[in-house]
Amino acid sequence: MTTSNPHSNPVTTEIIRNAFNAIAEDMNASLIRSAFTPIIYEGKDCAVGLLDENGDVLGQSLGLPLFLGNLSLCVQIVAEMKGWDYYEEGDVILLNDSYIAGTHLNDITVIMPIFWEGKRIGFATSRAHWLDVGAKDAGSPTDAREIYQEGMRWPPTKVYRKGVPQDDILAFMRANSRFGDALIGDLHAQIAAGRTGEMRMRALIDRFGYETVQAARDDIFAQSAELERQAILAIPDGEYTAEGALDNDGISTDPVPVKLTVRVSGETMEMDLTGSSKQTVGGVNCGFTQTVSALRVAFKLLINPERPVDGGTFRALNIVAPEGTIFHAAAPAACSWYFSSLGMLIDMVVKALAPALPQRAAAAHYGDSMVTIFSGTDARNDDAFFVAVEANCGGWGAWNGGDGQDCLINNVNGSFRDYPIEVFEHRYPMRITKYGIRQDSGGEGEFRGGNGSYREYELDGDTTLSLWFERSLTRPWGLSGGSEGLGPQVEIVAPDGTVRDDLLKTSTLPLKAGSVVRVATGGGGGFGDPAQRSAERRQRDLENGYVS
Amino acid sequence: MAKFKVSADIGGTFTDIVVEDDAGEVRIGKVPTTKENPALGVLQGIGQLVGDPSEIDFFVHGTTVGLNAFLERRGAKTMLVMTGGISDTYTIARGHREELYKLHYRKPEQLVPRRNVHEVRERLAWDGSVITELAEEDFAPIIEKAKAEGFQAIAVCLLHAYTNPAHELRAREVLKAALPDVSVSLSHQVAPEWREVERASSTVMDAYVAPVVELYLNTLKAELAKSGMEKTVHVMGSSGGVMTDRLAKERPIATLMSGPVGGSIGGCELARRTGLENLLCVDMGGTSFDLSLVIDGQPEMTSETVLEGLPLLMSIVSIDTVGAGGGSIAWVEAGGLRVGPQSAGSYPGPVSYSRGGTEPTVTDANLFLGRLGDDSLLDGKMKLDSEATRKAMERLGRQIGLSDRELAEGILAISNAKMADAMRTITVGQGIDPREFTLVAFGGAGPMHAVELARELDMTQVLIPRFPGTFSAWGMLQSDIRHDLVASHIGVMSAVDEKELEASFADLEQQGRERLREENVAEGAMAFARAVDLRYEGQEYSIAVPLEDGDTLADMLDRFHALYERRYGHSQPESETEIISLRLAATGQFEHGGEEASFTPEEGEPQVGTRDVIFDGETHSTPILKRARLVPGKPMASPAIIEEESATTVVPPGYTITIDTFGNMLVAAGESA
Repeated sequence: MTTSNPHSNPVTTEIIRNAFNAIAEDMNASLIRSAFTPIIYEGKDCAVGLLDENGDVLGQSLGLPLFLGNLSLCVQIVAEMKGWDYYEEGDVILLNDSYIAGTHLNDITVIMPIFWEGKRIGFATSRAHWLDVGAKDAGSPTDAREIYQEGMRWPPTKVYRKGVPQDDILAFMRANSRFGDALIGDLHAQIAAGRTGEMRMRALIDRFGYETVQAARDDIFAQSAELERQAILAIPDGEYTAEGALDNDGISTDPVPVKLTVRVSGETMEMDLTGSSKQTVGGVNCGFTQTVSALRVAFKLLINPERPVDGGTFRALNIVAPEGTIFHAAAPAACSWYFSSLGMLIDMVVKALAPALPQRAAAAHYGDSMVTIFSGTDARNDDAFFVAVEANCGGWGAWNGGDGQDCLINNVNGSFRDYPIEVFEHRYPMRITKYGIRQDSGGEGEFRGGNGSYREYELDGDTTLSLWFERSLTRPWGLSGGSEGLGPQVEIVAPDGTVRDDLLKTSTLPLKAGSVVRVATGGGGGFGDPAQRSAERRQRDLENGYVS
Repeated sequence: MAKFKVSADIGGTFTDIVVEDDAGEVRIGKVPTTKENPALGVLQGIGQLVGDPSEIDFFVHGTTVGLNAFLERRGAKTMLVMTGGISDTYTIARGHREELYKLHYRKPEQLVPRRNVHEVRERLAWDGSVITELAEEDFAPIIEKAKAEGFQAIAVCLLHAYTNPAHELRAREVLKAALPDVSVSLSHQVAPEWREVERASSTVMDAYVAPVVELYLNTLKAELAKSGMEKTVHVMGSSGGVMTDRLAKERPIATLMSGPVGGSIGGCELARRTGLENLLCVDMGGTSFDLSLVIDGQPEMTSETVLEGLPLLMSIVSIDTVGAGGGSIAWVEAGGLRVGPQSAGSYPGPVSYSRGGTEPTVTDANLFLGRLGDDSLLDGKMKLDSEATRKAMERLGRQIGLSDRELAEGILAISNAKMADAMRTITVGQGIDPREFTLVAFGGAGPMHAVELARELDMTQVLIPRFPGTFSAWGMLQSDIRHDLVASHIGVMSAVDEKELEASFADLEQQGRERLREENVAEGAMAFARAVDLRYEGQEYSIAVPLEDGDTLADMLDRFHALYERRYGHSQPESETEIISLRLAATGQFEHGGEEASFTPEEGEPQVGTRDVIFDGETHSTPILKRARLVPGKPMASPAIIEEESATTVVPPGYTITIDTFGNMLVAAGESA
């Protein structure tokens, strides 16, 4: 679809489209390679975006899916607040306010406007999870009741103003984190990513000229919008629904209902969250921006998985989330565990649309990041303070034609990798004595759900433990007659042999040296009638010990 | 009696042979690869070029036997043994997703299925101290199973074995005593670095290809000996050095990338001869485009790679690959023009090959624009169909409103831009300015695109080596014996004991010296290069910092901060740094001739024809030159097409072409002075 723009040409457009994506990939590589904390370089809890002068996406790397298209919204919201002239050449703007960026305070958005011949022509942006932003507990608190307990909250803040570092602000940030050096290091990594984007974008415009790059952008957006329009047209018009509930908000014991209605009409799709829980005291809330991102992930999973995201993507998708609900929270709602409800939401979109897209759907996966946080001091290292944050992998849902994958990280995480035992034991005063595939935890079906994992720790020193395990109530459901997967399990054995198995969420629980902590994640849902499962698949599962 | 040095690059389809005589004269040959017994193809090629194999003084070859055994999953029946409680780490494979928008994601299939992963009770702590002794009785059922089911190889990977190998060494004793014919690979020997999943994966790979590589090398050696070639058989290693067949059998994983690295090592030799020390080497064939860097005359190395999703820890010449080649297909989506990544390969191949291909490819665009002639391939033995190509261009062009000519130029522009993006990633993306580099292009299609690729990155000089189609084989002939050794040495810099560091390096050097001695390298020809992997405390990725004789710790740190600054645009000299590992490259240097070897052109008029070629939308009447007849030291103006049997070089207007005394072709931006 070429426009009538005289600067437009399908060859140049394709060259520029590839260049935008290559620039974003290089920005991402730069960020990951120079980051200081494992959440970024192992967890890949980060994303970068190269944006145009309006804040629309030109290129985005594979990063954390949950940040999809979110950087764009941040740039636009800040512009609404302060005007576009707020962005000046050489600025580095930092932002983590949950009600703007949508996520918890640990996720830091860095915006760097790109100028070319004195004109603002775009933005190099990134977001990364910082280990510690000065919350009441190290890492992220699991029992915060207000955002004020969750750490430093930054509205748009210039840490570089016209190229000059604001040393007092940087010193203030460093002083308010338990890991100030790492915090500054990760900020530098994000700035390095931005510089890469800035330099490459300027070179691209030098080469093709500003008008040509703009014309190409318009063509690229039009192509993306057209591809999506075709995909939605192919889905039968109608209303599709799904509902479920989080176990609780980490403070009360009440379930937190989540309700979704998808309306498909011609070339457009609406996702409506009316009927979902009011915002809660505990931190399962998020800003609207992040809800938009999560639903975009679900949309992309089903509609258009291959094509890179750009400013033309998601134009056909409308999202409704009433203010004051967990999906559109207002101050002072706590947001630390915002992603638990969003991960469920993504599964629910798939469930709702499964009747319309049977070949693309899958049963539910184990559902959440299943986080353990150990913190304490390390006697081997002059009693230095440490905090070890880990997400745990689990089983994914089966689909028509395939078993769900065993032990895979959950849908809101990026290309996360688990912590190698050898690295973990070097860094933290405890041992991982067991790590394996949890037999029989996937749902049965003609195609079985993937199995969850188990991990066992033995503590060498006194340590505190925080837990955030979810989905024991709304278990990973099956599809088309497949059964549900198991939920999570946690067991804590004190040195005297006393066992506690009633905790899935807890905050800074003190544990004595010699304690053993066993965590297990759930499996994915099965697909189809278990009686139809082939003898060959049964045999393979038995031989390999995936089922007993 | 003449003495020859011979190299063979045994590829999937062709085996390239390069022969250098003691006067430095080089000849090349290309024969079909004989898959069942590759030695036959090699011997046939040698027979054509040398005659009597007993006159061969030195023989080196690059083989894809190990790699193919892996790719086609035809390796040994392999078992993995790990520490009790954690052996599922191998199957879980760190739990990550490579594709983020895929509900139906499956992890890459491991070489050893879970039923063949076994555990033994033992446990070391992070510092190598023993928590639980090795329970030797746990091997009994493993041995029984290996015998009953006919396992050929066993990989052993125990936790923290890189700090204390005692349990792994004992494991081998126990296994070998009961299973003398089973090959045993130990993780601390294959990859003495932390991270159990990556180390186990590397060890399994080693075990998996070991019997295949061993059988292959034994057969090759016997066949060569039968024909009279009694010399040691050398194998090109992934780290860019050669090793004897005996050591290759001990470290089969080191032969995995044997083929592609020849080009990079050839690049290093070009750097030595021409004095151009910074090279960006590109190898373009039908389906892929490989890139590597030579900096200050040395190849860029990496210590980790991923093959089909499986991680491998090993010292290897750093080669990036993108899916762009002559066979890349042009197609239309939502009104946009795309090129690749789908490739027509050789079958059905480009439209012009008349083998059933209907979608225009990059090669078709080259033909349409006159860069290739109907008779350019294989000295005219293969005719190209330009009429069918024109029709295909017209058909696709109509879909997006481009003329056939605009489309053909567009296909080249898009595929060149994609390759240029990959070139930017490995240069600009790492803080390297490509304008300070010379582009070296080889492979069947590399020289056709090289000058335009250089232009994309503002590089002003391009070098097309002599015999670009067999350059990798030539490169193998130029390499030295090389062994890469690594030792984990984890600790913050402020606590590093310089004496301890020196002792660890001395220990590595001793190991390197022994290996070189085993390969009969004289003391005087030995060289040892040290490097340390450093990073800021808390980071994951480290930078390999090369050390020079007499370096102090402060020198080492300064160099680290500078390298870091170059790569990421900032550094933090005030932050604590951490050592991860020590690396040593032990080389045994061969005598390489060739520095003064002069190239003698073939008799005859260089220009053999003229063709209309389209450059930047304009048609230019362009001379067709025969490369072998070009006379050294005589600059020529472009445009020109330079043809030889294995490649065609395209030089757009505005460049000067010169042949140097070695027969290399230099293309420089600007008219000749």
